[in-house]
Amino acid sequence: MIKLTVNGIEHSLDVEADTPLLWVVRDFLNLKGSKFGCGAGLCGACTMHLNGSPIRTCITPVSAVNGQAITTIEGVGNPDKLSTVQQAWVKHNVPQCGYCQSGQIMSATALLASNPQPSDQDIDNAMSGNICRCGTYPRIKAAIHTAANNLSGTANLKNDLFTNIMEAK
Amino acid sequence: MTSLTSDIKQSRRSFLKASAMGSGGLMMSIALPGCATLKNGGVSQEGETEQWNSNAWLRIDSDNTIHFVLDRVEMGQGTYTGMTSLLAEELEVDPEKVKVSFAGVDSVYRNTIYGIQITGGSTSVASSWTIVREAGAATRIMLVKAAANTWGIKESECIAENGVVINKSNGHKLFDKQITFGLLASLAATYSVPSDIPLKDKADFKIIGKYNKRLDALKKATGTADYGIDTELPGMKYAVFTRAGRWDSQIKSFDASKVKNMPGIEQVFAVNNASAIGIAIVAKTYWQARKAQRQLSVEWHESELNNVDDASIFAQYKKDLAQDSGKNVRSEGDIDNALENAAETISAEYEMPFLAHSTLEPQNCVAWAKEDSLEIWVPTQSPDMAQVAAAKATDYALSDVKINTTFIGGGFGRRINQDFVAEAAAISEISQQPIKLIWSREEDIQRDWYRPSSYHKLSATIDKNGDISGWNHQMAGSGVFDYFVADAAPAQYPFMPKFMYGLLESAGKMGEGIIAPADGSIYEGAEAIPYDFANINVDYKKSDSGILVGNWRSVGYSHNGFITESFVDQLSAQQKKDPYTFRYDLLKNHPRAQAVLKLAADKANWGTPLAGCTQGIAIHKSFGTWVAEVADVEVVNNSLKVKRVVCAVDCGQVVNPDMVVAQMEGGINFALTAALYGEINIKNGITQQTNFHDSQLLRINEAPQIDVHIIESDESPTGVGEPGVPPLAAAVANAITAKTGQRFYKLPLKLDA
Repeated sequence: MIKLTVNGIEHSLDVEADTPLLWVVRDFLNLKGSKFGCGAGLCGACTMHLNGSPIRTCITPVSAVNGQAITTIEGVGNPDKLSTVQQAWVKHNVPQCGYCQSGQIMSATALLASNPQPSDQDIDNAMSGNICRCGTYPRIKAAIHTAANNLSGTANLKNDLFTNIMEAK
Repeated sequence: MTSLTSDIKQSRRSFLKASAMGSGGLMMSIALPGCATLKNGGVSQEGETEQWNSNAWLRIDSDNTIHFVLDRVEMGQGTYTGMTSLLAEELEVDPEKVKVSFAGVDSVYRNTIYGIQITGGSTSVASSWTIVREAGAATRIMLVKAAANTWGIKESECIAENGVVINKSNGHKLFDKQITFGLLASLAATYSVPSDIPLKDKADFKIIGKYNKRLDALKKATGTADYGIDTELPGMKYAVFTRAGRWDSQIKSFDASKVKNMPGIEQVFAVNNASAIGIAIVAKTYWQARKAQRQLSVEWHESELNNVDDASIFAQYKKDLAQDSGKNVRSEGDIDNALENAAETISAEYEMPFLAHSTLEPQNCVAWAKEDSLEIWVPTQSPDMAQVAAAKATDYALSDVKINTTFIGGGFGRRINQDFVAEAAAISEISQQPIKLIWSREEDIQRDWYRPSSYHKLSATIDKNGDISGWNHQMAGSGVFDYFVADAAPAQYPFMPKFMYGLLESAGKMGEGIIAPADGSIYEGAEAIPYDFANINVDYKKSDSGILVGNWRSVGYSHNGFITESFVDQLSAQQKKDPYTFRYDLLKNHPRAQAVLKLAADKANWGTPLAGCTQGIAIHKSFGTWVAEVADVEVVNNSLKVKRVVCAVDCGQVVNPDMVVAQMEGGINFALTAALYGEINIKNGITQQTNFHDSQLLRINEAPQIDVHIIESDESPTGVGEPGVPPLAAAVANAITAKTGQRFYKLPLKLDA
């Protein structure tokens, strides 16, 4: 049995140990927001947070995160409860095909959680593992700056960045 | 998608039909007259009566919900927003209040330019510009009439606004001042559709040209947009499919003994039909199927592609072109005379590589073979070709195949070919259960329908006065039409029995350029060279490499934009003229081109590059749209960095300005991937690249600043999704040449050591 806490909710799963976390989240927990792009950790479409840090879940065996806390795009927010990053994404019309954007938002959220006022260089460093084939990069950069502005002076950074995580009981 | 673009006599006439719904709403249906591009086995359809189809486009429920069935797919290019904006403008509703759904397969949804239901060629808004607005306007007129009759006042005393009709008659006390569309819908549905449907003047537009929201952004920013790969069905299993390295190889034998006892494995079997050859593994989970695939061993027969590689392909192109210059696609003046009397001739040869699409959502398809029907859920650019592909790969009749489309994680032309549909359909039929087929990234890159490689020979003649007197461009390469006609031809004739499909394919191939439009996938953009040279000649020799090819964002323009604008730059240097002025003067017969070129140059401060940079300029027209780009490029220590691209675009009347900007930004970055990294190499008939480490895509740290400027225009809208691509590589290459003197005759750009 594998135990995972995903977006604050605990799960016990009967799944083969080497199954990548991505497929466990998508097909066992039915959270489809995280995407499969390359299966090799090269594109970032599958990005989730492990204890707050962005990881490529298409190459992370579920056994390697047994008992740990995972956050997915569904934990960042939902259409009725957007996070600050998601609000900026909508404001800037960032998505085109949209397929990479869950992963982009996970990487951007992790960046802002640790560095709430990033420079262009910081953004390049933090986001260069996420490919956007539609080429929305200028808007990703602009949206991160907008989110950073809206976060400045916030009383609770974590609440603004994650609006949909169940509080542990 | 361009090979079906030209020479089509299309009828713009549309037919609207209103009907009442049992639940008290209104349904506005639309019928397009039949318009065939591949005529029925050569039999002309001219004069045939239009066939009435009553599929809903627009539905207003009594609770004022407005549904719009979108007849184009959404793959990032923004049709979801653009088409809804057209409707909302005339209907007088907030675009955000319209519930949009994707159309299934029906001839009513056929793209009026192509004659089949396809999303490609940057045509969605152009082909629906009038029809969708008329549907909205006719419905609004009927709703206003219903309100006027309800109130007993004149229609002129009513005004439709934001989903309601408002009573503007003075002193009217008997009724509420406004009624929702929903409450008026059932009465409006009893009226006949007006014969005269006036459309708004541009000055009255509230949404078109002004609306800047993206309607699908919220879903896509929250992971709640459903792509094909997200489809779930009860009892669904997962499939992976092992194909040969060479697409035309047949199965010799396979050994699944190690696979069958692995956890979760349900079935292993061979599939062997015209569109799908390989070994399927069906398992409870995707990972079980994928893991088991490593234990499968398959032996393949040799194929004709065994001895094919990049060198042999280009040798073939050159040999074929040397023997026969092929089809003349542009002839002005007398190029032979110009060559004979030239004081000097400047020549260059260009070699363009195969390119992968690399949609970030890998190819996938869900198929459910039931007793009487086959249901498909698929991210596809051509639902009716998907229907043909599924029917061909199974025993189901075409009419028993139901196609559902989804959001698409990138198309770029890849999803015009329907191989993944044929595979999934066959696997489900054999497996007798619903299955989801997912390709790996490696499979997606290795079994793509690439942008064709091509070989080009250009010559310019200089006369005795030192002026350019002639332009000669000859080229060879595969045509993409041959690689999708097998599914496209039957899709036009859904009433034909399956045993006729082979005949339809042959008729389509033989009729290319006669009864079907010419396939311009290698020469488009080259034949339309806009410069004012006295003698122009452009020839295309079809030379089939045998490698699978398909439409790739901007198709033939993708390479001809680079080639023609690189060679023009070389000529400007020969003439000792500024590259901008040289072009501007030679574009004197194309005022819209001149305006675009000038706007790009002005906004980029042409002649004053960014610090440390040099500048390059290029202009190209594709899909009716002129785009000029100025690149500021820094070359340091044998590496290059594109710092900024300034883009000017004239795409006629703009529907959603921010969407145009986004498509130019996206097109530029897409083209920059090709300029810096794009090449697929073939060795012994097998693609050498496998994943994003050796088939690189542009990343955020390499993406330039992009400034887009749109020309104000009252002309009809033209393409937006693709035209940003063609000028980019030349603008970048020309900027490098300005610094180092090196000229580029191949892509991707490789700096001399």
